Amino acid sequence: MKLVRRLASIVDWIFHRQRAEQALADELQAFVEISAAEKMRDGLPLEEARRLARLELGGVEQVREQVRTYRHGGWLDEIGRDVRYAFRMFVRNPGFTFVVVVTLTLGIGANTAIFSLIDALMLRWLPVRNPQELVQVAFQPPSPKDAPGTGFSYAIVRAFASQREIFAGVAGFSSFTFDVGSREAVRRAPGALVTGGYYETLGLQPAAGRLLGREDDEPGAPLVAVISDGYWEREYARSPDAIGQTVQLNDIPASIVGVSPRGFTGANVGSVADITIAVAALPQVDASAAPLLGPGNFWLRVLARPQSGVSVSQASARLNAVWPDISGAVIAPHWPASRRQAMADSVFQLLSGGTGWSYLRNIYRKPLLVLMVVVGLVLLIACANVASLLLARASARQKEMAVRLALGAGRGRIVRQLLIESTLLSLVGAACGIGLAGVAGRFLVSLISSGPIGPTPLVFDLTPNWHVLAFTSGVAIVTGIVFGLVPALQTTAAGPSATLKEDARTSSSRSKLLPSLVVAQVALSLILLSGAGLFVRTLQNLQSLDPGFNPEGVLLVDSEGRRTPLPRDVLENVQRLPGVLSASLSTHTPLSGSVWSEPAVPAGQPIPEKDNAYFVGADPGFFATMRIRLVAGREFTDRDSANSAPVAVVNEVFTARHFANQSPVGQHLSANVRGRRTDLEIVGVVKNTNAAGLRLSPPPTVYVAYAQLRGDFPTTLAVRATGPLGQAASAIQRALQSAMPGALIDVRLLSRQVEATMVQERMMATLASGFGLLALTLTCVGLYGLLAYSVAQRTREIGIRMALGAQGTRVVAMVLGSGARLVIIGIALGLPAAWAASRSVGSMLFGLTPTDPVTVAGATVALAAAAQMAAYLPARRASRVDPLVALRHE
Amino acid sequence: MDKLDIPQGTLDLMILTILVREPMHGYGISQRLATLSHDSFQVNPGSLFPSLYRLEQDGQLKAEWRPSENNRNAKFYKLTASGRRQLEQHRRRWDRIAFAIASVLEGA
Repeated sequence: MKLVRRLASIVDWIFHRQRAEQALADELQAFVEISAAEKMRDGLPLEEARRLARLELGGVEQVREQVRTYRHGGWLDEIGRDVRYAFRMFVRNPGFTFVVVVTLTLGIGANTAIFSLIDALMLRWLPVRNPQELVQVAFQPPSPKDAPGTGFSYAIVRAFASQREIFAGVAGFSSFTFDVGSREAVRRAPGALVTGGYYETLGLQPAAGRLLGREDDEPGAPLVAVISDGYWEREYARSPDAIGQTVQLNDIPASIVGVSPRGFTGANVGSVADITIAVAALPQVDASAAPLLGPGNFWLRVLARPQSGVSVSQASARLNAVWPDISGAVIAPHWPASRRQAMADSVFQLLSGGTGWSYLRNIYRKPLLVLMVVVGLVLLIACANVASLLLARASARQKEMAVRLALGAGRGRIVRQLLIESTLLSLVGAACGIGLAGVAGRFLVSLISSGPIGPTPLVFDLTPNWHVLAFTSGVAIVTGIVFGLVPALQTTAAGPSATLKEDARTSSSRSKLLPSLVVAQVALSLILLSGAGLFVRTLQNLQSLDPGFNPEGVLLVDSEGRRTPLPRDVLENVQRLPGVLSASLSTHTPLSGSVWSEPAVPAGQPIPEKDNAYFVGADPGFFATMRIRLVAGREFTDRDSANSAPVAVVNEVFTARHFANQSPVGQHLSANVRGRRTDLEIVGVVKNTNAAGLRLSPPPTVYVAYAQLRGDFPTTLAVRATGPLGQAASAIQRALQSAMPGALIDVRLLSRQVEATMVQERMMATLASGFGLLALTLTCVGLYGLLAYSVAQRTREIGIRMALGAQGTRVVAMVLGSGARLVIIGIALGLPAAWAASRSVGSMLFGLTPTDPVTVAGATVALAAAAQMAAYLPARRASRVDPLVALRHE
Repeated sequence: MDKLDIPQGTLDLMILTILVREPMHGYGISQRLATLSHDSFQVNPGSLFPSLYRLEQDGQLKAEWRPSENNRNAKFYKLTASGRRQLEQHRRRWDRIAFAIASVLEGA
């Protein structure tokens, strides 16, 4: 009650301020008059009575100030006044305000952009019921060398789901791409395969119709699909009639049973699932993917909700306790005994699962954290700049502060005023920064999307949520306090009398603080520049690496809409197209992200359990198309057909490993090809290729003749063309499309596929050098500002020196020297810091050590050169000081 | 006689006590306080008015403008029901404090 009344009166004061102030003034006036009247009654003359009465009151203004301050809500009032005062100040100094706000916008915007990506990728809860209860199941194989696994077989997920006393629900899921529509108009749609407990476990309610349940995830169940709210809106305009309609998935009719709730696009963060079907229905839409349901394929991610009352640690203890009993039934029976044992000995961990799962997390966690540190340093540099601007301006306001101190304002009061000014500046910067971050965040996502992004396009929700807003305003307030406090304390430290007496220009206390800010900026910039250099040179090293094949001029053609190999006659048509040098089919192209491995050893040796070589099915002409050089023997020819003896070409690593000191050509290999024991005759040896990844050493590889493969294999057509690749691409597209109407023909560049594997390095190189340049610019501005300020302060001294005969060049040297001293100290401090910082990114580098002397030297030279240029402008201005003008100025 | 500082936290109690008899304006309150304390307490308007404003904000006092005894319009403060309750509480607490202090001093 009291509180309500108090609030009401505070609000009343704010809104009827004028009236309240007037009433207070009237009341105090009455006090004086009544008091004077009493005194006159006691016999004092009018003038004397009034004077005494006013003395008694002690000053109308002071009492009014006391009432304003000590009444409830007085502090609010004062802050309001400070804010208004601060805004008036900003309007009076538009240049200062602009520079500060732009600097802070860049600093805070960069931080917000990186943070919102981290938030979207790693921190955001799934839009499901009580996401914090969800756990992700992972297993640690007995050998600690192996990384923990998060993929599980369908059988294991079903076994988990049957443990009702541990889990209230278990959801297995994987992304999948559907070809939607009839043969004439096929489109790709990103989707998901989920187990029967998926929607129930996540606790979702349908936006329309029903969601999938256990009965849909049984063999033989009718093929039904759930669509996302977004897909419902785009394709069906939210029509209720969509429920029950039939949609062609890979040419198989599926009926739509429901729409998932708005905002939910699957548990796989970063990829949207527009169409979701049950795992058990997979063989119906894609017969070739049926083996995925077997016990040997670990491909489903698992989120589970522990039974209520069961803690996460109890759940994982119970799961590990029951695993030996259930493992026998779900581990692939065809596995070798040792592998079965290893799986049975695995230990399960329950990780926090409320943020879903994303393969991108493993790839981008470290780069994003490194970038977060980088933008943090950029913000520090920006803060240093703003602090020196405020310090420089504070000296101009020293008199104003002194007057206010003398008039009775407390030091705390003035510090608060200055802090409010700096916090307001940073809040304005934060508001602009959020806008900048929206643009920058989209740019970041497009950078990441240019990489190998799996089966579905990358979609991130980057709209600022409370995490991001809290982060940004937190950064802004801390920033405001950090760069505002020092100038505030400095300005008020001297006390009124010293400043008022002294000429403000000669105050010397700032002379240490400003230079040390610049030294810190130089040191931080050196860290960022040498880091940027390391990332740029890593990218250059990867780009200039010879991968063993030549990706330039090669087009790759896929036709996944059909999921059947390209017909032979089509291949011949393509080979006859103008500009086409060679064309060949293969099962796997280098760096496509998908690989095939098998065990293969010289004939006579036992075939090992583990795969030991990459396998590639290749047509005649494959090596010519890829420009993989033949070292010995021959390539595949048209005579290597399904009816002739199986042949193979191996690479040099394979040769070195298995045929030391002898030529492998003519020797035989024993291999398991798709589980079938095969004898292969080696007919040739080729150069190595970095097929597993540019950073990885070339894997031992066995090429087998494409025509001799039996069974379903993925097939890509590789075409080497001369002239403009765009023309060749559209010619190929036309030729294939007329041969295969309705099929999805996808033509892309091999060079793009290679570049896609460098997306993380490219992101780091681009962003680190962008932020490095920003840091360098801010530092140069800081140094320039400091020197320009000190030249302005020393105009008179410089004038005297020149009047006494100092040459212009000598004055330039003096100013440059004072700048160089700061830069040298900054570099001396920055070098060890850069050395320490770069060691932590060692694993992200390629082809150079973290302490690469050339990079560090380059960064140092660039920094020193830029700093000297920044110092030159004020130096030149100093040398043009006219002694007469400078001296008369006094 | 030398003036005494008004003990911390007792100004509100004294204001409420003075106003229990009749509504008064600021000057009147300060005069009555001086008279009742035999000129030991002289309240400074810089403390008196903020206290009056706070008590009014808390609803313990109500104010109205009306002519004073010498026909000058003045703001008269008057106790509200909640002010009366507050005064009783304050008073009981103060009595206990005074009794406690007296006991300690006599016992020593």
